[in-house]
Amino acid sequence: MTPLVYVFEEQVRDLLSQAGDVRLLDGVAYGFDDWTVFHAYTEKPSFTPSGHICPCVAMRSDATGFVDEEKLMLQVRSRVDPDGGPIVVLLVGTGVADSPSCRALVLTEKGVAGADTRFVPRRSELFSRNTGLLETSALAEKKVVIVGLGSGGSPIALELARAGIGHFTLIDFDRLELGNISRHVCGVNDLGRYKTLAVRDQLLQKNPFAEVSTMEVNINQALSQVEDAVAASDLLIVASDNDQSRFNLNQMSLNNNKVALYGRAITRAAGGDVLRVRPWKGPCYNCIFSSGLIDGREEEMSQKRQALAILPAYVEEDKINTMIQVGLSSDIAPIANMMTKMALVELSRGIETGMSTVDEDLASDFYVWANRREEAYANWPRMGFKWTHPSILRWYGARVDRDPNCLVCGGHLEEEPAT
Amino acid sequence: MGWSSQQSTRLHLEMDILSRYFPTFFLKDSIIPGHAIIEGTLRSNAGHEYIVRLHVPADLPNSVPIVEIVSPVLRDRFGHSLADLGTSYPMHLLKPENGVVRICHYSASHWSPNITFSKILLKIRAWLEAYEGHLDSGYAIDHYLPHMTA
Ligand SMILES: [Zn+2]
Repeated sequence: MTPLVYVFEEQVRDLLSQAGDVRLLDGVAYGFDDWTVFHAYTEKPSFTPSGHICPCVAMRSDATGFVDEEKLMLQVRSRVDPDGGPIVVLLVGTGVADSPSCRALVLTEKGVAGADTRFVPRRSELFSRNTGLLETSALAEKKVVIVGLGSGGSPIALELARAGIGHFTLIDFDRLELGNISRHVCGVNDLGRYKTLAVRDQLLQKNPFAEVSTMEVNINQALSQVEDAVAASDLLIVASDNDQSRFNLNQMSLNNNKVALYGRAITRAAGGDVLRVRPWKGPCYNCIFSSGLIDGREEEMSQKRQALAILPAYVEEDKINTMIQVGLSSDIAPIANMMTKMALVELSRGIETGMSTVDEDLASDFYVWANRREEAYANWPRMGFKWTHPSILRWYGARVDRDPNCLVCGGHLEEEPAT
Repeated sequence: MGWSSQQSTRLHLEMDILSRYFPTFFLKDSIIPGHAIIEGTLRSNAGHEYIVRLHVPADLPNSVPIVEIVSPVLRDRFGHSLADLGTSYPMHLLKPENGVVRICHYSASHWSPNITFSKILLKIRAWLEAYEGHLDSGYAIDHYLPHMTA
């Protein structure tokens, strides 16, 4: 089979725009499937690549396009030692109408083979398939802050990158552990890494042109730093695992008049809920918290650190361990999916997109989901064939108003911040 | 960083309520978030006085304030210092700091920004009555005060 080599168009353009007489340049390539497919880079990729590493040498060819291949291969061989593996050689030039061109050769002990070359296109073309449903060029300008990059936050981040959102701030101070893997978008490759950085790499796999900044902080101890990020964003997505962080983020969302989405799973992910806070227009997180709507809907405990943070110090180790009961990734997925859709509705506001009718449907600010008839849903009837009674695997919107006695957004405040 | 304007408003509200229901309580070192404390005297039904200190959290009102009994030095019925008990479930005590007893009043899982300092002090009043009950009867404090389930 003819080897296949993928090259980033942006990198080729950069190389061509460099002045001076640089002829040979060391890049890097990653090979897959018995060296039949390569991803070649003229400079270090901005995300963590996968595959088996091998040398790559790029050359800016003359306008005439003539290259003495034999001489070049000798030059390449004397330049890098492939240690038995292949060397990818890129011949970069300018084609018709000033468009960049790239020819790839794969050099092995057996000789030189010409490869099929494909460009990974620039930003504008990457999301062209979304046109019609989402105005992706407008979404590329949107900035999202995501707090909590666990089983809930990480798939939301990924879905938003897939939809073409261009700017992310990821906030979490946890590292990826073995126990997280089965419910997380990242795998064993990322064990021990900060979830923020591991998820950033996943985002860049979906949208290599996204701008992703990360903050490895406990938001309860880095309030002003986090608030700066919230102030600079278009939307705040809260997938953290404790109320203190949600209370603090609620205040930041109100202070800066930024819409916030909160999602959580209840015990063993038997279900979950999603809250949208439109500051000063609808209920805030504290209004919901004090409304009784979430009473009896204890949050899922998925790890020891989470339990230790909220339990009095005298609770014994045994009890803590029995409290850690997690659901499946497929139990978290509907909650993350609902939050993603609500995020896209918010981010598409003011832009003519296919999301506007969804906006009309999402009249409620608080939604409840059930995965199984247990915990808070133990007394629900079976789904059967009726549409008229509550059932698992459906979303329910609840009518909730602002609480005039809420000590965070209620009437005690002299005035609301100017919007 | 100082208090945000919302936090300043909240501190005023808290002190306003305290001035009505717990007038001996006053605010100290209020400029710096994380250092501000509120201190005053609570008197039990039997007439004993306790100096109580509440640490105003830097993220007021979003986390549980630490509450300490500064004086007198509290001892159990058998003469042992309560601070030496360390964290104690039956006595509703958190880990003491600098030998000062810290009361477990609201747990983090039951905290809400709607809970005012005045509500906390009501709980401390109840703890003090239970403590004096313990001195009389020898029953642990959770005989008198139910625990909040976590
Ligand atoms: Zn509110």
